[in-house]
Amino acid sequence: MLEAKNLTKRYGKHTALNNLNLTIKPGEIFALLGQNGAGKTTTINLFLGFIEPSEGWASIDGVSVVEHPQQIKQYLAYIPETVMLYPNLTGIENLEYFSSLAGFDYSKKELGKLLSTAGLQPQAFEQRLGGYSKGMRQKVGIAIAVAKKAKVLLLDEPTSGLDPKASNEFSEILKTLAAKGTAILMATHDIFRAKEVATRIGIMKEGNLESVLHACDISANELEALYLKTV
Amino acid sequence: MHLKFIQIIGRQEWNSIFRSKIPLALYAVLLTVSLLATFTGWQYVSKFNQQQAAAREEVHDHWMTQPNRHPHRVAHYGYLVFREKSPLSFFDFGLDSYVGNSVFLEAHRQNTVNMSEAGFSNGMLRFGELSMALVLQVLVPLFIIFIGFHTVAGLKQNGVLKILLCQKASYLDILLGKTVGITLVTWALFLPLLMVSLLTGVISLSAGFNSEQLMRSALIVLLYGLYFLVITLLVVAVSAMSANARNSLMALVLVWILFFVVVPKSAQTLGSSIFAAPDKIAFEQAIEAEVSKEGDSHNPNDPHFSELKAATLKKYGVDSLQALPVNYGALVMQEGENISSRIFNKHFDQLIGAYKAQNSISNYLSFTDPFLAIRNVSMNLAGTDFDTFTEFQKQTEKYRFEKTKNLNEIHLTQISYKDDSKQKVSARNFQQQAEFKFKPLTIKASLAHGAVSLVALFIWVLAGLASLTFISSKRAYQL
Repeated sequence: MLEAKNLTKRYGKHTALNNLNLTIKPGEIFALLGQNGAGKTTTINLFLGFIEPSEGWASIDGVSVVEHPQQIKQYLAYIPETVMLYPNLTGIENLEYFSSLAGFDYSKKELGKLLSTAGLQPQAFEQRLGGYSKGMRQKVGIAIAVAKKAKVLLLDEPTSGLDPKASNEFSEILKTLAAKGTAILMATHDIFRAKEVATRIGIMKEGNLESVLHACDISANELEALYLKTV
Repeated sequence: MHLKFIQIIGRQEWNSIFRSKIPLALYAVLLTVSLLATFTGWQYVSKFNQQQAAAREEVHDHWMTQPNRHPHRVAHYGYLVFREKSPLSFFDFGLDSYVGNSVFLEAHRQNTVNMSEAGFSNGMLRFGELSMALVLQVLVPLFIIFIGFHTVAGLKQNGVLKILLCQKASYLDILLGKTVGITLVTWALFLPLLMVSLLTGVISLSAGFNSEQLMRSALIVLLYGLYFLVITLLVVAVSAMSANARNSLMALVLVWILFFVVVPKSAQTLGSSIFAAPDKIAFEQAIEAEVSKEGDSHNPNDPHFSELKAATLKKYGVDSLQALPVNYGALVMQEGENISSRIFNKHFDQLIGAYKAQNSISNYLSFTDPFLAIRNVSMNLAGTDFDTFTEFQKQTEKYRFEKTKNLNEIHLTQISYKDDSKQKVSARNFQQQAEFKFKPLTIKASLAHGAVSLVALFIWVLAGLASLTFISSKRAYQL
């Protein structure tokens, strides 16, 4: 579903991402761990088509990101570290707006259902987003992804700043989406959340993918030790 | 490009602006200023035209009630002509306050148009008056900047743009949608106000329905609509190229200073330094020198008039001026009038040519500054431009010449050469003279004078759309 082959990004003499080879299958959650500047966001931006690779290629469902930037949009959804959206629109209006731009025309009932699926309480649907907590906004972000029936979900530090409960709820939603066949690439600093939610974990350092592990093969403490040793 | 997505984004932009209190507070301020400017402008023009009409009537009464007189005395008695303000001048004052409002017409002399508002002010007028056109040209762009500076840059800053770009709508759809939304808000807030103000003003100042003025009003509304679109395109483009809202606001304020202060002032300075025009004294001295050279009617030994005398005697087959069947003195005066008028017109055309060349800098700079484009076209359509004033000067000179010629004709045929100055003719002769009626430029002529600026305005629209297309194709402007 998600594939990178010798994917490299250079800014002048600085290599932000070096020779990344990665495949993420449908139903898989791949967590990218690494310090700031390790190349996690660059990887996500390359898959989103916001930056052009210096070498190599990235594809989604076999479609080249560089050659067909508009076509790949139908497959993917993106959730940033902080989902801001439109603070003067309600949760349901935000979802309606974004899903209409994805080409979907949902009824109010369907939009409500999507927000519920993402874990948002019904009483919040008609409240303006400006009054939402970060966790609630992340849920609207998830609802937007679900609404467009995205096959691929790209997440950049999605649980950063969330309280443990909200973070846990978020992880559960990701697992549900993966169980339905969504391929998920998640950049994070949160080792324990990565261990808990991911199928595989990659550790990045200075633009290189140093190691890739199956989450089930390693404990959280071992992962932390490996991470500290790598970075 | 997807029209449906552009429509959705435009509608969202519209809702977003109307849900926020700051744009509405700004609008309330601009609405107050616009209404104030419209009312004071309308009141001023209305009062001015009433005063001019009263003065015109008084002058006319004096002319009609003058006793039997010698026609040449009547020619020097003169006639005052007043420049009535165009009905649309309440909307755009243009050059009206800086050019004269009345001219004294008399034989042998081409007087300048005097009594401008600027000439009777304390000098503060040079800092500009508040007209509705000024509000629309200068302050509405600021309003557009304030409601639009963050439209794309703000989305970049908070990461929403990335989410938007992951939907089906392209970056071009987003930029065009934003442009549509902001433009429609600006149109909805200002164009109906403009339309109502123009219609009310024109109907009341023209004393009824005037199709020519209504047509001009419709064009003004249309062109201001286009101008707001240009400013919106510019704001969206700058916002899309900026990394964050703060940078976008700073860049747009700089652009505003450049467009509304630096370029217009430079255009005027550049124009007058490249195309130097003679001052009033030099202009009059040049005419005087050329008239003296060609033929001085007051000099008995002047070769030109000696020739005229010989030719006239020969034509009528007589050997003395007294034996002529016509008054030779009137012939001399008319010939003097012909010479001075021809030379004046030649120098006047050269002077106007120099002024037009100076103005052409501002016209061509319209391609670099949309404010100059709308300012020029707006003045053209409001009838407060340089060309309308020049037309007034030309028509008054033509009227002066014809009037003097008629009086010379009366002198020629009704006054005998002997004891010329002791004779009088019936006042009925003067009463039959046609009254001066200024014929304003037609819409076609006004548009022709503003053609460069008009083309510039359309080019700005195309350039704005091309810029958005270019920006949307660059990945660097998406992050």
